[in-house]
Amino acid sequence: MIRIAAVGDVHVDKDVVGRYRPALEQLPDRADALLIAGDLTRHGTPEEAKCFATEFGGLAVPVVVVLGNHDHQTDQQQRVTEVLTDAGITVLECSTTVLEIRGHRLGIAGAKGFGGGFAGACASNFGEREMKNFVGTTEDIAARLGEALRSVTCDALVALTHYAPVPETLVGEPLEIYPFLGCYQLGNAIDSAPTALALHGHAHHGSERGRTPGGVPVRNVAHPVIKQAYNVYQLLSESVDAELVPA
Amino acid sequence: MTKQIDLEAEIQRLLTEHDSVAEQGITVHRRENQVVLSGEVESGQRRDEICRQVTSHFPEIEITCDIGITRAQAPSEVEEIS
Ligand SMILES: [Fe+2]
Ligand SMILES: [Fe+2]
Repeated sequence: MIRIAAVGDVHVDKDVVGRYRPALEQLPDRADALLIAGDLTRHGTPEEAKCFATEFGGLAVPVVVVLGNHDHQTDQQQRVTEVLTDAGITVLECSTTVLEIRGHRLGIAGAKGFGGGFAGACASNFGEREMKNFVGTTEDIAARLGEALRSVTCDALVALTHYAPVPETLVGEPLEIYPFLGCYQLGNAIDSAPTALALHGHAHHGSERGRTPGGVPVRNVAHPVIKQAYNVYQLLSESVDAELVPA
Repeated sequence: MTKQIDLEAEIQRLLTEHDSVAEQGITVHRRENQVVLSGEVESGQRRDEICRQVTSHFPEIEITCDIGITRAQAPSEVEEIS
């Protein structure tokens, strides 16, 4: 059994430091790793990244993250990544990590992802240069996430993105903005590997549960969606135990 | 009519693009002469800043601020994925 804690869209700055910490201190009793699905900061400054590292670093479980669009706002995503890495946090961008957990290998492939829309209502790589750049970015990130997922050897494989791979977990958002919240290409990438669970954020008004066309469970863990410090998901269950902490 | 739609768009863009706010998750609804802001943010300071910015940019509009602070307690349950 592996237990994964997950949250996204924590948007940390000075005013948030300390809010999550009491719940995070309880992590080792509740989960084996913490995955964070992007929008770690408000504007993606190194100062905000330090605030994030203060709040989410130095935990007794490994912390694995992807960046979100907010973490790109000031074009300092490279510096942000360095600050997080220096704090012992693993930052994935079309890359993978494998954690050894009680004899099991948990494989995680992560990417920020991008928009583009979903089957029947998606943008095409056609026309103006700006449009081709947009959809080209979507396709490139999804292709590299797929390669990353297929490259991992592990017992349980998790896909971690910021943008959504399916429309089901966007329900609650205005339909008109779906193309800015995710793309079907991420879902295809997830389906191209034996993925056990796909986690994403970004859709603050979306819903928690969905599935890819290939049947992979998808969870939107955006903080305003889950409404607690993190959710816990259990993989490779030997027996079902719905009580998180024994009474 | 066009003016009303523009106002909602302007508020939405102010909340996203103003450096002291940077929120994409705030819903802007017009109810008669009122504009209702809803959604959740990470701190009380952020909620107050949103209301301050909208009030100062659109002083003629009556603003109702229904923005909450997302709770950050530890969970009590686990979901089994299968
Ligand atoms: Fe976000
Ligand atoms: Fe986002």
